[in-house]
Amino acid sequence: MLTGMIGILAEMTNSNSTGIDRRTLLKGAAAATLGAASLGAASYWLGGVSRVSRSLGKKVIVIGIDGMDPRLTSSMMREGLLPNLAKMSSQGGFSDLATSCPPQSPVAWANFINGAGPGSHGIFDFIHRHPHEQCQPFYSAAETVAGQGGLEIGEHQLQLDFWPFLHKPAETILRRQGTPFWDYLDEAGIPSTFYDIPANYPPSPSKHGHHRCLSGMGTPDMLGSYGTYQYFGEDGPQKTVDEAGGKRSKLRFIGDTANCKLTGPENGFLKTPVPIVIDFQVHRDRSANCVVVEIQGTKILLKPGQWSHWTRLDFPLTGPSFVPTKHVSGICRFYLLEGDPNFRLYVSPINIDPSAPAVRLSEPTEFVQDVSKELGLFSTTGFQEDHKARTNGIFRDEEYLRQASFVLEERLALLEYAIKNYDDGLLFFYFSSSDLQSHMFWWNSDERHPTRSAPEAQKFFSHIKALYQKLDAVIGDLHDRYGSRATVMVMSDHGFANFGRQFNLNSWLRDNGYLNPHECTSIMDDVDWSSTTAYGLGINGLYLNLKGRERDGIVEPGAQEDALKDELATRLMAVQDVDGQSVIRGVYRSDKVYTGNATELAPDLIIGYRRGYRASWETCLGGLTPAVLLDNDSAWSADHCADALEVPGLLCCNQTIRSKNPSLIDLAPSILEDFGLKTPSSMTGRSIFST
Amino acid sequence: MSDLTIRATTQLNQIANGIGRLLLSPLGSLPAFFGAVVVAIVTGILMLIAFKYTSHQSAMKKIRSGIKAELLALSLFKDSIAVSLGSQWRIVAGALKSILVSLIPIACMIVPVTLLLGQLSLWWQARPLQVGEDTVITLNLAGNEKSSWPEVDLEPSPAVQTNVGPVRIRSKRSICWNLQALEPGYHNLVFHVDGQNVEKQLAVGQHPMRTSIQRPAWNWTDVVLYPAEPPFDPKSPVKSIEIQYPPSSGWATGTQSWLIFWFIGSTIVAFCFRGVFKVTL
Repeated sequence: MLTGMIGILAEMTNSNSTGIDRRTLLKGAAAATLGAASLGAASYWLGGVSRVSRSLGKKVIVIGIDGMDPRLTSSMMREGLLPNLAKMSSQGGFSDLATSCPPQSPVAWANFINGAGPGSHGIFDFIHRHPHEQCQPFYSAAETVAGQGGLEIGEHQLQLDFWPFLHKPAETILRRQGTPFWDYLDEAGIPSTFYDIPANYPPSPSKHGHHRCLSGMGTPDMLGSYGTYQYFGEDGPQKTVDEAGGKRSKLRFIGDTANCKLTGPENGFLKTPVPIVIDFQVHRDRSANCVVVEIQGTKILLKPGQWSHWTRLDFPLTGPSFVPTKHVSGICRFYLLEGDPNFRLYVSPINIDPSAPAVRLSEPTEFVQDVSKELGLFSTTGFQEDHKARTNGIFRDEEYLRQASFVLEERLALLEYAIKNYDDGLLFFYFSSSDLQSHMFWWNSDERHPTRSAPEAQKFFSHIKALYQKLDAVIGDLHDRYGSRATVMVMSDHGFANFGRQFNLNSWLRDNGYLNPHECTSIMDDVDWSSTTAYGLGINGLYLNLKGRERDGIVEPGAQEDALKDELATRLMAVQDVDGQSVIRGVYRSDKVYTGNATELAPDLIIGYRRGYRASWETCLGGLTPAVLLDNDSAWSADHCADALEVPGLLCCNQTIRSKNPSLIDLAPSILEDFGLKTPSSMTGRSIFST
Repeated sequence: MSDLTIRATTQLNQIANGIGRLLLSPLGSLPAFFGAVVVAIVTGILMLIAFKYTSHQSAMKKIRSGIKAELLALSLFKDSIAVSLGSQWRIVAGALKSILVSLIPIACMIVPVTLLLGQLSLWWQARPLQVGEDTVITLNLAGNEKSSWPEVDLEPSPAVQTNVGPVRIRSKRSICWNLQALEPGYHNLVFHVDGQNVEKQLAVGQHPMRTSIQRPAWNWTDVVLYPAEPPFDPKSPVKSIEIQYPPSSGWATGTQSWLIFWFIGSTIVAFCFRGVFKVTL
């Protein structure tokens, strides 16, 4: 092509004529067009080449099963109840997988992501605090930062992020620090796809275009919360009540129709944002014992005990009159708990619509829409099983189980999509079911269950076993399809334990003179910081009220700080329950167990509870109770936020596991090694495939 | 609107349905985008030809030439305020005249274009149900809150399964069913209302099909908007029957976008071909 063009140019320059004749001009034009087309095609091809997978057909599939317990799995494998995991173990290996300290999901998954401990990623608990605000809590893996600036027009505020205004709209930032291991794959041209990886919201960007992901745990709903259901019942309170994870409203029928209001996201165009409310109607036919829910022109028919499909809702964000109304879309499901005589309707948290997401849910942005084109609507919040509806008594156990089974069905459909669209490189797929069902139904001992009779406890525990069998079948199917051609890893971030007794750390600190005054009910309200040397926040964290770090700190850094840490650790280790049983297995000094550059927000001590114990519900957010040790009478009757040694995760792989004590932080280096990449210096883990 | 208008519109709908079924049937097998493009091209050209023969072309040309001349005057005598203002006024007047001249072709085309849009909406306003998918069907009864409540039931059909219903909304005189589609194809759902049989069409299939969202009431607007099925007689105990079909997707044939795509597409086509057909627009 190039020679053709040169020839024509030569012909044109050699021409004796003073002008360019028509024939030559046409030839030149044709050649130029062809040349441009070739150049375009070549550029496209070269661009394509740079995006082509360099994994050379190598496949690694990682199935992350949150909270799958190695003890239960081993015993079920021995009983022949998990034949596929047993088969895979015999081919490769099965092992406990050391979890994070503390063994909380955001911490553990961030360990997995970075191939290094919390000191590298800066996530130490579900809940963190800003020391300069003393103890104001926020979700550790992501934080929404308020916007700055704006044009005020009447009751509205416009944020314009372009010159000359340069306002800063509110944004949610991922607080996980360090380099995720997929960045190394991305750089090497190896494709990786992650479905619902926790601790990755908003999803981290891909520099080279080889990484795709759907964000998982930590993804909010349309209300900006981690899942807020709405309940409408004739037995509801006179005024709508906000309860942890939900809203409860009274519904009144006039004739056969009741008018209700569904609360949506806040209108950010308002100076003082207020939620957008959607009016909807419920028509009850007592003779048929059915209802019709009529919302935004859509009718939904429900019998008692029936769930609707996902329903798309439109929320108009109205600004000043000259600004076009912006629309955001959410999705929810309706569930008729009871029709008559006491009407009770549950509306699921309003999820971000995957077909038209209001915020970025995936990397690349359009990935979630591509998935939705094939699968339709599906839940997008980080916590999909509505455990709050169960703990607040909206759901009974069976209802929660049913809702959780819907989540699993959706996950399995998504897994099918994932497999169908997987060629090579790394495929990671996450299951939340084992974690959020175990929290409610796990009880693996003959000890008295705090709220259930022994047969009931066993009945519900059998659901967990059935779930393990279901997941085993999924793994078997995957292994049959890819076992001979791929490295298949099944891993969990931690195990599980009963949670029968709760320990209020703040109450203990109060009783032992570390937290004052003695009448204090919450460190958020009535604590006297001038006489408080330590406080508890989050599930496993204990903080000193350190001078120079905490806003009202009084403990001198250095010798006093060290002495206090040692004293607290010693005294906490000695705590015993009324029956003489030890409550705490280990107390860890963060300055000794964490290494890395991201330790700024780390607690000073990490409390490792024994199996059966956990931090009390109140102490997690700074509350105090008269008693230090209490029964846990919540439906949430099992947990994993104990000592890391009490609740290891599991690893099952179809390749030989050579490492004797594999840990979560070892998986990223192992995956990289399987793709022929060296362990980066940012990782402290070592490959499980090497001795 | 008078009964006569509604009857006339119903007759026109019947003709349009016959032609539409025949001419638009390829939309059922063509890729959606391609079908939308073909429709935009064909209708754009047809509207152009119709405009040519129903408009006063020489008057149009004269107006256009006048506007061009005034535009030239504007550029040549831009320093003269009097000439500029005069030209601007004559341009506005020319534009108004061209609208006036276009009124006759618009009047000639409004009926066929409305019928055409009615037919296109059957293809693109919603998608048919898929086998296994469920939907809500609502039968709206005539009368008011004090009227007696007739006996209504849905005749069992192998094409559908009733999941929930009938559920009565007394305040709205409506009866709803949740039906699950079992068999692909066009089906007639038969309702028994106080001994009378009334029917409603249902479309089930994987590919694009004519979907009749509503069998309309005896109301002119509804008859125009929902042309596929005849309206219920004003004396009928049933006012209307509607099916909640899922919205169709795609930016050329989606529920929210097909009309915009068709309008812009056919306008562009008409402008592109005005030279070929020697039409002054």
